Amino acid sequence: MNVKGVTPGIGFREEKIIRWFGERVGTVLRKSFSWMGGLNEVEEIRLRINQPLLIRTGKNEYFLSSSGQKGLQENLYIVKRDDLIEALERMTNSSLYAAEEELRNGFLTLPGGHRVGITGETLVEHGTIRTLRNISALNIRIANEQNTSLISFLPLLLDRQKRLYHTLLVSPPRAGKTTLLRQLVKSLSDGVAEISLAGQTVGVVDERSEIAGMWQGIPSFDLGCRTDILDRCPKAQGISMLIRSMSPSVIAVDELGSPDDASAIRDAVRCGVRILATAHAESVSELTQRAYMKDLIRDNNFERIVILSRSKGPGTLESIHDGNTGSDLWPSNNKINIRTKA
Amino acid sequence: MLIAGYLGLIIGFGCLGLLKARQIKRRPLEIREMINALALLDTEIFWGSTPLPEAFAFLKERVDFPWKNFFSELETRLRDGANAASAWESAIYSQRKKFSLLEDDWRIISSLGKGLGRSDRNEQHKQLELVQKHLNSVAERARDNAESKAKMWSYLGFLSGMAIVIFIM
Repeated sequence: MNVKGVTPGIGFREEKIIRWFGERVGTVLRKSFSWMGGLNEVEEIRLRINQPLLIRTGKNEYFLSSSGQKGLQENLYIVKRDDLIEALERMTNSSLYAAEEELRNGFLTLPGGHRVGITGETLVEHGTIRTLRNISALNIRIANEQNTSLISFLPLLLDRQKRLYHTLLVSPPRAGKTTLLRQLVKSLSDGVAEISLAGQTVGVVDERSEIAGMWQGIPSFDLGCRTDILDRCPKAQGISMLIRSMSPSVIAVDELGSPDDASAIRDAVRCGVRILATAHAESVSELTQRAYMKDLIRDNNFERIVILSRSKGPGTLESIHDGNTGSDLWPSNNKINIRTKA
Repeated sequence: MLIAGYLGLIIGFGCLGLLKARQIKRRPLEIREMINALALLDTEIFWGSTPLPEAFAFLKERVDFPWKNFFSELETRLRDGANAASAWESAIYSQRKKFSLLEDDWRIISSLGKGLGRSDRNEQHKQLELVQKHLNSVAERARDNAESKAKMWSYLGFLSGMAIVIFIM
């Protein structure tokens, strides 16, 4: 069964993904990774009940046949309920009850920082989701560890004392926000000799366990040697816990998505720590259509707003706005892709 | 020489009887031990949300042989990627010879494997409670039977040995 080192394109990294699926789906994926030359291009693997197995890369999407090739209408591999149950059992170590909190939030995090989105029938109790059952779809988002070339624009995010401005990273989904956040955290934490940036203490409130990809207390990603991580902690509590106990210079949080998150940020920027956060949106104008974000930006809580897109692949740096003056600090004709393969 | 042979026969049959008696006495103890283990597992799942591999690792340290081997095998199988239901069945299949339990006892224990780890904490708790309840009633009957049956088998062994000796003579 194990073809490590024999099938082209299948290495340790691919096997570490394939092991999360049952025998049937695993075999199809192994064959498909073989002609795709491994996992490097793969962004998502989608399993939907009674629908074909789908792989999305940065540029294309493929429905797979039973033999793992690009499928045609008549030979597509159709995902069965058993495939979903098997995958979910493997992903939860046969302990669905231990993942109740994750199911409530609609996603699991696997070792390596891969994120599994889950949909199904929600069980609602007193107006809040108690759990998900009859799981109908899984979306496995592959975390590709990337090196990001920060040197060209990192100085724009630092003030004269080399302290980070309060910075917000903005992009639509799958455009590299979290990857950039991770790289910024690591650079701030370790320091960057080329621009004489000394390392500083960074606190990360990883509410969705996506920044560090924690698995049983061990981070999947290297976030630097001066980074403290609060895993699966609500932002508001997490930020005040870190400020009280770990004296960070910078606090990083992912995905500001509610008025509560915005009010936590508003409090934090007045506590003497620098904030590094991300939010979903295509542009600043789209972002400010949400009332709580509008207030946050109008009150100049963020001094730098970095806009990313997928126009030149995930991680394309579109612009860097000065939050106080509104001016664009990054030349509009200089769209660069800040991601390079590790 | 002949007398030594007769004595050997009586002692041999006697030992067989004692062995059977010991097995009968062990059954209620093994059931009791499993009930305790399930209570611990219930606590780990319901209060600790402990994933099954860690829960089994914890259980193997808290129980005696032969359940220790049973939970140890379960832990290994789960860590190797098997699902809970198949790991439970395989562990029963490979370990059952080391136990004194009866087919009916295994049927109850086996029934737990089917839903293990597949639902939320409340449902797991209910399932574990149900199996404990079944095992409790079996354990009571097993304890009542054990004393009288064990005594019977320990006498029966020696008496059969003597009967055969008399028959040969």
